[in-house]
Amino acid sequence: MTRCLDEAKLQSYFDGELPIEQMESVTSHLASCANCAAAARELEEESALVMNALAMEFEASVPTERLRQRIDEAVLGDRLAVARSSETTRGLAGFFSGLLNFGAHRMLGYASLAVVLAFAAIVVVVKMKSTPPAPAPEQVASNLGTPAAKNTDSKAVTPATLNGSENTQSIKIQTPTAKSASNGNFRTVKYVVPSAPTPKPSPVKLLPGERSYLQTIARLDSTIQSNKKTMRPALQVEYERNLAVVDRAIAATRSAAKSNPSDPDAADFMFAAYQSKVDLLNTIADARVGGGRGH
Amino acid sequence: MNGQARALIESMPNDIGTEAVGPLSFDEAFTLHHRAVFRTARAVVRDSALAEDVTQEVFLRLYRNLNSTPGEDLLRAWLLRVTLNVARNTLRGQSRSMVRDNEYHKSTTETGFFVDAPEEDYERRQAIEEARRALDKIKEPMRSCLLLKQQGLSYREIAVSLSLKETNIGSLVARGRKEFARVYGKIGGKR
Repeated sequence: MTRCLDEAKLQSYFDGELPIEQMESVTSHLASCANCAAAARELEEESALVMNALAMEFEASVPTERLRQRIDEAVLGDRLAVARSSETTRGLAGFFSGLLNFGAHRMLGYASLAVVLAFAAIVVVVKMKSTPPAPAPEQVASNLGTPAAKNTDSKAVTPATLNGSENTQSIKIQTPTAKSASNGNFRTVKYVVPSAPTPKPSPVKLLPGERSYLQTIARLDSTIQSNKKTMRPALQVEYERNLAVVDRAIAATRSAAKSNPSDPDAADFMFAAYQSKVDLLNTIADARVGGGRGH
Repeated sequence: MNGQARALIESMPNDIGTEAVGPLSFDEAFTLHHRAVFRTARAVVRDSALAEDVTQEVFLRLYRNLNSTPGEDLLRAWLLRVTLNVARNTLRGQSRSMVRDNEYHKSTTETGFFVDAPEEDYERRQAIEEARRALDKIKEPMRSCLLLKQQGLSYREIAVSLSLKETNIGSLVARGRKEFARVYGKIGGKR
């Protein structure tokens, strides 16, 4: 006579989950063991009770058509989201890969980055209200709320004055990146102070070499902004979505450079970010001027 | 849908369409398994409207993971595993509302989902409530084992759904069944 059956084996037997050879041995054991036979009867009764009790839970109708409709709509919405996010992903991928390889031009993410930085640059300049140390030809033109930078063609840099005099920071001005002005066609610039999060300059002190990038970006941005109405809606949305991410990245690199003034790597990293923004602004401007799709 | 949206859809890669889930298409998967998903969800959240939300989410996840879901043999187990997870997460954010379920029941009665006479309906709902109260007393994972067993899942499918060893399922079902019978008898369901 075989050993008595434990409850797991008995349950598996009644659920048809035992291998065929074990099924046969259990059957023969139940025929010869009164205890196991009694346990089997109890199991059957309880199983029937559970089945009947829970059957009602599962008998209620299922709203098949409504579920199908809801799921179809949800899937459709998901497809739209995937399609949109794929564009965003391409933009962000461009941004991050551009940080490492700032020669890349076709990354939409940098467009957002550049716009944000341009705004940030303007805010920084405006809020500094600093007096220019001297009539420097490379200085950013920006008077609060007034058009300042004149159309000067691609190679030129606008002479200007900075509003205010209480800030007496001394800022080294460097020549702007030649590439940054490649698109030319700069028009009268009307700087708009954005509400988007920007590095708070209170007081702001630009890091060495930073201003030239800001100038360049401001000019490119003004070009793009003046033609923003003609930009594809999808591209505009791309801008908006990436703004926050981009701004944080810029703030981080700038903060690192600022807190480690003696670390050349930190500065390089920041400049790489700046340069990438300039590159991408150029790309966006090119796409717009050329009527392309921007990526 | 505007033109832009259509353009976006048309520009999507083909591999995110409703292609095969193993040998099953997304539509076939829905047709075969939406009842099990909905009923399991309703058994957990105790609310038909919430169960619809859960079912929608489950099939949306199936859609998003078409390329990584198991083949036909274990698709139901995969779906019910997701169902249990989504339903439990839903429960965490919701208080169980019989009122809401009653309202849903009323609305669906008008559209023909439930056609019981009022007194039959009342008795039936009482019986369901007793079974639910008994189920509430059963500890996990025995409770889920019972629910899935009731849906006709094999031990293997139950093991996959609950991330358990298949060799333990028989014991868990047996213990759950015993416990349910004991508690349900006390409640009065054993008539």
